[in-house]
Amino acid sequence: MILAGTGDCAVNPAVGITAFAAVTAATAVIGFYGLRISRTTGDFYVASRTVPPWWNASAIGGEYLSAASFLGVAGLILLSGTDALWFPVGYTAGYLMLLLFVAAPLRRSGAYTIPDFTEARLDSRSARLVTSLAVVIVGWLYIVPQLHGAALTIRTTTGLPSWVGSTAVVVVVVLTVVAGGMRSITFVQAFQYWLKLTALAVPLVFILLVLRDNGAPAAAAADVNPTGLAPAGPYQNISLLVALLFGTLGLPHVLVRFYTNPDGHSARRTTLIVLGLLSVFYLFPTAYGLVGRMFAPGLAQAGQADAVVLLLPGRLIGGPAGELMSAFVVAGAFAAFLSTTSGLVVSLAGVISQDVLGGSVRGFRLAALVSAAVPLAVAFITDSLALAGSVGLVFAFTASTICPVLLLGIWWRGLTDAGAIAGMATGGLLCGGAMVAGAALGAGTPVWLAQPAAWTVPAAFAVMVLTSRATKSRVPHTITKVMTRLHTPERPLATGR
Amino acid sequence: MTRVRVTAPRSVARPAVDFRGTAEESAVGQVFVRSLIRSQLRLALVVAGGFVLIVGAFPLLLAAFPGLAESTVAGIPFDWLLLGAGIYPVTGISAWLYMRSAARNEARYRDLARDLSGDR
Repeated sequence: MILAGTGDCAVNPAVGITAFAAVTAATAVIGFYGLRISRTTGDFYVASRTVPPWWNASAIGGEYLSAASFLGVAGLILLSGTDALWFPVGYTAGYLMLLLFVAAPLRRSGAYTIPDFTEARLDSRSARLVTSLAVVIVGWLYIVPQLHGAALTIRTTTGLPSWVGSTAVVVVVVLTVVAGGMRSITFVQAFQYWLKLTALAVPLVFILLVLRDNGAPAAAAADVNPTGLAPAGPYQNISLLVALLFGTLGLPHVLVRFYTNPDGHSARRTTLIVLGLLSVFYLFPTAYGLVGRMFAPGLAQAGQADAVVLLLPGRLIGGPAGELMSAFVVAGAFAAFLSTTSGLVVSLAGVISQDVLGGSVRGFRLAALVSAAVPLAVAFITDSLALAGSVGLVFAFTASTICPVLLLGIWWRGLTDAGAIAGMATGGLLCGGAMVAGAALGAGTPVWLAQPAAWTVPAAFAVMVLTSRATKSRVPHTITKVMTRLHTPERPLATGR
Repeated sequence: MTRVRVTAPRSVARPAVDFRGTAEESAVGQVFVRSLIRSQLRLALVVAGGFVLIVGAFPLLLAAFPGLAESTVAGIPFDWLLLGAGIYPVTGISAWLYMRSAARNEARYRDLARDLSGDR
C-alpha cells in the first residue's frame, strides 16, 4: 500500500475504498435502470417533466446537499461554533426565497435553462450569452469544492493521494451523464438524498448511544473554542445570509430541476417538500459539529475540521462497529460529491452544448466532458479552503449575477437587456474581484472582502435597475405576453375546477 | 436501442395551450393579470420580511438575555438548540402559509378570468 505522506489515515483504507465502490456501483445500477426509460428527446434535458413531487424533491435535495453540507457544515461548526450555524440556516432559507420569488413563475416560463429564460424574457441574444457565461462560471466554481471534498475524503480514509479522489468522482460523473442524461440522474439523485441522510443518521445514533454509556456529556464543553478564532461580527453573518438567501435561487443545477414539475403549483409543492427534507438533513451535520466540539476538539487544531464527520464514528465508537459506521459516512460523502457534481455537469453541459455546440447529443456529451474537466484542472492547482466557506463564496457570486436577473426579470416589467447585462457584469466583476483579492491576501483579508455579498448584491441590483431605467426604449414588446405567462395559473379555463 | 436526436429547445419550450392566451388580450384581462402579479409579489415580500424579522430576532433575543444561552435543554445548550434546530420550523411554516395564500390568489384570478371570458 502506498501512502501519500499526507498524514496518517485514521480509517481502515479498505473501508474507504469499499464504501466508494459501493456508492459507485449503486449509482451505476440506478443510472442504468433509469437509462432504459430515457428514450425521448425531452428526457435528455429535463426528464420529460413527469417526475412525481416526492421523487423530484428528493432529487433536488440530493443534488443540493453537496460536500459543503455533508462535510463542511460540521467542520465549520467545529471551528467556529454557533456562528457557523448560519450556514445550514442560510442553505435552507435560500429555498424559502426560491419558493417565494422564483419557483412557480420560472416553471411557467417554460424555458429549460436560465439562459433560455433570459432570452425569452428580454428578447435578446446578447443577454442570453452573458447569462450563459455567468452560469458556466458559477457551475465551475461550485464543482471545484466538491472535488476538494473528494480529495480530502480519499486522503483521510484511504491514504491514497488526493488526486485519486477528485479524478474518480469526475470519471464516474462523466460516464453517468454521458450514458443517461437527466432521467437517470433524477433517480440517482433521489436515491442519494436518502443515502446521505441515512449515512449521517445511523452513525450518529450509535455515537450518542456510546456517549450515553460513557456518562452524560458536559454541556459547558460546547463553549470550548478549539481554535481561538474571534467570533464573527454582525457584518459577517449578515453578508453570509445575503449570499445564501439570494444565491440559492440562482444556482443552475437547482433551477433546472423545477422544469421537471408539471405546473407552477406543483413546483411550489415540490419546493415545500424540499424545505422539509433539508431541515431534517441539516440537524445531523449540526449534531456532528456539536459532538465534535465537545469530544474531539483536537481535530480542529490538527487542521482536520472538514473531516470531522468522517473521523468521529471511528474515534468515538471504535472497533468493528466503528469501522462499519465510518464506511457509512464515507459512502454518504461520496454520494454528496457525485450527486452535486453530476447535477452541475448536466446543467453546464446543457448550456454549453446549446450555445456553443448546436445542441446535438454528441455536443451534449462533449460539453459534459468539458464541464467536468475544467474544474478538475482547477482543483489540481488550487488548495482546499474550508469547504463550507468556499461554497459560501460561490453563493455570493451567484447572488450578485444570476439572482438579480431572475428576480427583476420575473417581477419588474422595466428590466431591459442592457440593464441585465450591465448588472451581471458589475456584480460578477465586483464579486469575482473580491474573491481573487481574498485568495491573494490569504489570512489577512479584511472582512468586507472575505464576505462580499452584502455590497456586491445591492450594487448589481442598483446597476441593473438604473441602466434599465436609462434604456427604457429597449423593454421588449413581448413584455405583456411574457409577464402573463409567468404569473397566471396553467389550468385550462374550459374544464373548470 | 433507438437513438433520438436532441435538438436544442432554445426558445420558450411549448406554446400555452390554455386560456392564458385569450385572457391577456383584453384590457380588462390585463388589469386582472397585473393585480394578480401585484398581490403575489406583496405576499412574497410579506412572508420574506416576516421570516427575516423572526430569524433576526433570534440572535437579538440571545444577546438580550445572556442567561438564556447558557441554560441547557437535555444537555444541549439553548443557543445551539434555537439556531441549530429552532429556525427550521419557522422556515417550514412560512413556506406552507405562502403556498396556501399564493394558491388562493391564483384561484381568485382564475374565477375572474372565467367570468370575463363567460361575459364575452
